[in-house]
Amino acid sequence: MYTLSGVGKTFRKGDATVAALQDVDLTIEDGDWLTIQGRTGHGKSTLLNILAGLDRPTTGTVELDGRDLATMRERELTEVRATSIGFVFQSFNLIPTLSAAENVEAALVPLGVPTAERRTRAAEALASVGLGGRVQHLPSEMSGGQQQRVGIARALVKRPRVLLADEPSGNLDEDTRDEIIQLLSTLREERNLTLVLVTHDTTLAYRAPRVAVMRNGRLMMRRDSRTDKAVSDS
Amino acid sequence: MFFLTFLRRELLRRMHRAVFVALGLSVGVGLVVTVTAASTGVSNAQTKVLHALYGIGTDVTVTKAASSKRDGTLFSFSPGKVPVRHNYMIPPPGLGVIDGAAVARVAKVHGVIAAAGAMSLLDTDITVPSQSQLSASGKPPAGSLGNHFTVNGVDLAHLKLGPYASGTIGSGRSLAASDARSDVAVADAGYANAHGLKVGSTMSIAGHDFRVVGVTRQPRGGGSADFYIPLTRAQAYASSPETKAVSDKIDTIYVAVTNTAAIPAVRTEINRLLPGTTVTSSSSLADDVTGSLTSATSLATDLGRWLAIVALITAFAAASLLTAANVARRTREFGTLRTLGWRTRRIIGQILGESVVTGLAGAVAGIALGFLGAALVGWLAPELTATVAQNPGSPPSENITLNSSGMRRSISPYSTHTINVHLDAQVTLAAIGLAVGLALIGGIIAGLYGGWRISRLRPAEALRRVE
Repeated sequence: MYTLSGVGKTFRKGDATVAALQDVDLTIEDGDWLTIQGRTGHGKSTLLNILAGLDRPTTGTVELDGRDLATMRERELTEVRATSIGFVFQSFNLIPTLSAAENVEAALVPLGVPTAERRTRAAEALASVGLGGRVQHLPSEMSGGQQQRVGIARALVKRPRVLLADEPSGNLDEDTRDEIIQLLSTLREERNLTLVLVTHDTTLAYRAPRVAVMRNGRLMMRRDSRTDKAVSDS
Repeated sequence: MFFLTFLRRELLRRMHRAVFVALGLSVGVGLVVTVTAASTGVSNAQTKVLHALYGIGTDVTVTKAASSKRDGTLFSFSPGKVPVRHNYMIPPPGLGVIDGAAVARVAKVHGVIAAAGAMSLLDTDITVPSQSQLSASGKPPAGSLGNHFTVNGVDLAHLKLGPYASGTIGSGRSLAASDARSDVAVADAGYANAHGLKVGSTMSIAGHDFRVVGVTRQPRGGGSADFYIPLTRAQAYASSPETKAVSDKIDTIYVAVTNTAAIPAVRTEINRLLPGTTVTSSSSLADDVTGSLTSATSLATDLGRWLAIVALITAFAAASLLTAANVARRTREFGTLRTLGWRTRRIIGQILGESVVTGLAGAVAGIALGFLGAALVGWLAPELTATVAQNPGSPPSENITLNSSGMRRSISPYSTHTINVHLDAQVTLAAIGLAVGLALIGGIIAGLYGGWRISRLRPAEALRRVE
């Protein structure tokens, strides 16, 4: 469970200080699906990076299961990323020189999984996203949709409890977009994942039980199926 | 291991980048190998010159200056009614004699492995003309001054020491310890060819018939004698009407020492033991070498060394910058790995592994370039000349003339000779080891630099980078 309290993030831009996040309070229960919408530059990706432990807030606390990511040592943060958080990128971020299976295996390397088990699990993960026959293909030999499936397999192969997706369908056509979102939805249900998804797409956003909007660094809840009305956490 | 899989994939699928970095390194490494090879070649050429002068295995030479300048009349005669033929073998005028017992004293000096005595002699065959043969001006007829040649008495107990050791037996056999009481000689190939001598020929030395048992070829420029005979025979037969017997005398002691560092102490001790002698080492002799060989030595040690250092620094900088550029291009990739939970240390290790393999490839290419460079140096370099003083154990050259009152000689005390040496640039195992070491260091520096840049990036920042 995530508990964010008074989270702020500022950047220096020349002489000016830009507030990317301001006073964000948010609770995400285990198994929740939260979609965050918002225009470019309003803090969506910054919030996602902070949830992933890739960046630290300037103010506030970001607790994951009671442990504050904001004050955690870098080594512990790395361990949290290796074990608990899966991340899906808009532009897939596959290693271009590695095959699909090797890209997926890369997520198991920090866990010290033995080679044979690593290969089996990578093959299973690729099969679970419908790419069982493409394990040896390079990213350049696959379509955008297939690359994103590899990205999802890579995020899930370590069996995380949280899946963070940053515009996962942003680089895909409409049909493929629907396939990918359906896949994420199915996998979340199957594995009881906590899913936080950032998207521009309103149609997609409203498939999630909880929808929030980022505006000028502030988070506003638009919809919460738990209360079935628009609410604001911040 | 995933490390090796990733390494192999990166190097094979981004080969052009790896090749580019490896080539950058190889140019620097190749230049270092070439300069080292040229330097080794120059050093070998210098050693060759010194060995020719000095004898392989000799570290120190002990000689004594002649007690007086012996220019002038060697001996006089009065022409009689009939011509009279004489054959003398006399010590040359330029060197003083040393008591043979000194060899044993030198051999006992701390740091000396072996000491060998030697005696240089001049064999002269003259025919004293009759009064009627003299011209109106008193000049002897042509041919009165017969054959004369140089003879070296060799210490048979130490055949691997001194100028004799520099020669290569071309036919027949070498002198042996068992020849001490035999009239046997090894002839110099040049003299033997000029005078039609071969193994089995008989040669009159000091009026005694010596059997030629071998023909030796001395390196160019060596202070070689025309004949090498057992020292005891040389001492026994050396005499002339006006010189004292030289039994148990020598004129040069050739000394081998345990190591180069011991030479100064050995020189000092010999000077103390044998006052009045001149103790020369190969290094002091090397200082007297002049000519283009010396210029080449300076060029190899000064300009060559700096050129190699500059090339190496440039190659290292180029490799580091190219690696850093490659790393910068892959920043997002490393950010992704950080997102997957890879530690910075593991990522740096991966970069370092790639750099080390690239460095090794650079070493192989650099060694190949080094061999090519060394071959070019050998092919393009002009023949070097070394102008050197005579072997300290060789007597100065002299001119012998005959007139109506006797035989005269004049000495050229500062005689030198010029040796032509070909520069043969050699790539040694040490140079190859150096190349591999340097390329590895270059690879590691480049990898560490690239890794350091990655370690300073926060994952979120790395992910924002656009490739």
